[in-house]
Amino acid sequence: MTTFILRRLLQTLVVIVILSYVCFGLMTLMPGDPVEMMISANPKISTEDIVRLREFYGLDQPVYKRYLTWVSDITSGDLGYSRTYRIPVTEMMGPSLRATFILSVTSLVFSLLVAIPLGIACALKPNSKLDYTINLFNFAGISLPSFWLGIVLIIIFAVKLGWLPAGGYQTTGMSYPSWWNEVLDKGKYLILPVVSLSIQSIGRFSRFVRSSMLESLRNDFIRTARAKGMSARVVIWRHAFRNALIPLVTIIAISFSSIFSGALITETLFAYPGVGRLIYSSIMGNDFNVAMISFVISVSMVLIMNLVADILYGVVDPRISYK
Amino acid sequence: MTAPQSPLQTESTMTTEIGPNKTQIAQMEKAQSLWQIVYTQFKDHKAAVIGAYTILFFVIVALSAPLIEMALGLDADSQNVFNRYKPPMSRIQASSDTKESAIQKFININPSDAAEIQKQILDKNLINPIRPEDTLYDWAQMDKLKAIGIVDQIETPKKSDLKKMIKSFETFHILGTDELGRDVLMRLIYGTRVSMGVGILVAVFSALIGLIIGSVAGFYGGIIDTLLMRITDALLSLPLMPVLIVVAAIDLQKIPVMQALISTGNESILKLVFIFCLFSWMTVARLVRGSILSLREREFVLAARTLGARDRTIIFRHMFPNVIAPLLVSVTLGVGESILFEAALSFLGLGIQPPTPSWGNMLFNAQELIYQAPYLAILPGLLIFAVTISFNYLGDGLQDAIDPKAIRR
Repeated sequence: MTTFILRRLLQTLVVIVILSYVCFGLMTLMPGDPVEMMISANPKISTEDIVRLREFYGLDQPVYKRYLTWVSDITSGDLGYSRTYRIPVTEMMGPSLRATFILSVTSLVFSLLVAIPLGIACALKPNSKLDYTINLFNFAGISLPSFWLGIVLIIIFAVKLGWLPAGGYQTTGMSYPSWWNEVLDKGKYLILPVVSLSIQSIGRFSRFVRSSMLESLRNDFIRTARAKGMSARVVIWRHAFRNALIPLVTIIAISFSSIFSGALITETLFAYPGVGRLIYSSIMGNDFNVAMISFVISVSMVLIMNLVADILYGVVDPRISYK
Repeated sequence: MTAPQSPLQTESTMTTEIGPNKTQIAQMEKAQSLWQIVYTQFKDHKAAVIGAYTILFFVIVALSAPLIEMALGLDADSQNVFNRYKPPMSRIQASSDTKESAIQKFININPSDAAEIQKQILDKNLINPIRPEDTLYDWAQMDKLKAIGIVDQIETPKKSDLKKMIKSFETFHILGTDELGRDVLMRLIYGTRVSMGVGILVAVFSALIGLIIGSVAGFYGGIIDTLLMRITDALLSLPLMPVLIVVAAIDLQKIPVMQALISTGNESILKLVFIFCLFSWMTVARLVRGSILSLREREFVLAARTLGARDRTIIFRHMFPNVIAPLLVSVTLGVGESILFEAALSFLGLGIQPPTPSWGNMLFNAQELIYQAPYLAILPGLLIFAVTISFNYLGDGLQDAIDPKAIRR
């Protein structure tokens, strides 16, 4: 078990290093490095100045050398400055990571809370009217563009009805007398993003719960449990659902990455200050340091979640052994 | 494949008990091919059939876009800043500048006819311009019916041209106009071409990549398999959207090889297809690898090998036909997914670049439109939704039809 985790950790680390290098290389291919921007800002700049500036910023070095200096900076704790906001990247990452984490986890929990009952209801009465209706909703959820759903939700609940804020993280200039007020205020801003982010995963989870539940209800031990005269609730939750849970863990881990992907669009749409929006705005605004760090962090988060899922897999299903 | 045989056997045993007539027996004994079985199964899945028809409809619309443009007399790209955000079902007058330049052009092309028309109008005292040279310009600014009435009263070989011109000044927009005064319906129709085109191209090409990588990994096994599958897993675990954004933001002009390849006007479309293919072949590769791994142990592969078939022949002739069915399902499901990703990326402004319309980039400034013209923010999304759900249902139907376990009798 320990060797398994260690090996997986090492693999994950290698993937992160390779990816960050590839990403570093890609970033250099983006339009507008700092010197180019200075040139466009100052038409009087001379050729010698450009050469000197390139040397100063190390832009005359090949990509791998620049990458190595960047890595050594990172490991010594210097994440660099944001070009747009003129503050250290370290100060930006903390709050936005927390915001994204809150959004993703809330959305994950919400979609599970909705999807599991729906999926089980379908599995208990397969091919019934209820099953078909829920299935239709699942398909609709999978096929809905989440950003468009967000727009529609804003139109309905923020513009027409005025019940919820159209975007943001918290009411500006608000001071919170107690933590409960803070939760209420921030929660109000979370509702629309969470709903638009969750719809797709609700559809996917619920279809998945249905099929794995159907599979596990077909087992012999379910018939035995029923024959013993156990109540339907015990049979469903204790015997069937626990076995249906095993494949569910993987799908949850995999969808963490897709929820994270979706969070990028949702955050941009709702002006929610998370990592996804940071990646987007920093790439659009040529904010190299911020883009690199936020990209590497978000990729690492997803990879680590996958690792956690692999470990959880063994906890849920004792039949699985790690080699 | 073993699957198609099983229903036949049971059917024939069943029917001998009941005692069917000879034609029925002949029908039963005629072996159904795999695709016939798939077709009969598929027909039972109503939602999938509806999906297939919806897709067919959109494909026809996309293919006949220029025809629709001609029939409606609208131009997808013509802008009219004076008529932005017009609601659906509105008639719009062209700006006076447009009218004047059209008249100017007419006069320049047919100076003698124009002089003749001007003379006739003035003689019959139909229009009273301040200066006689302005006659035609004044005529162009008139109401449509009145202007046509005047043309009817004069004798000229250019009658139909004039009528056509005056008709073109007034346009009817079924779905209104967008932020630049362009016709929304026409843009949606041309957007169908781009969005569905990207979706289908990506699904097909990424299936090809996945097929090659998956079959190589599955067939040869060993270190090749390990290496390829590690790459596949690593790519599969990435959060797709941030990666796509990083890659889509690259300036391809900075890569010398690409510079030569991409110099046409469709740069952003080709770039997008390329990027999507790069990151969407993994599921197909895993699927194909799984099938090939199990096929490798089958007798017919052993037989082919004993007969001295080369690896290539075994993979292409003997294994691929067995992989095609599940591949088709994943291609169908892939189209829907690609359309969604294209829309998302274009929505962020990194996908298809305007003025080329796509459903996604029509939503690009949807956020500002929410207050001014909410229907503009809703329409393209509805189409994305309709097409994606159709492809998903089609894929689901195909899966049910192809999967031997799901065969119902």
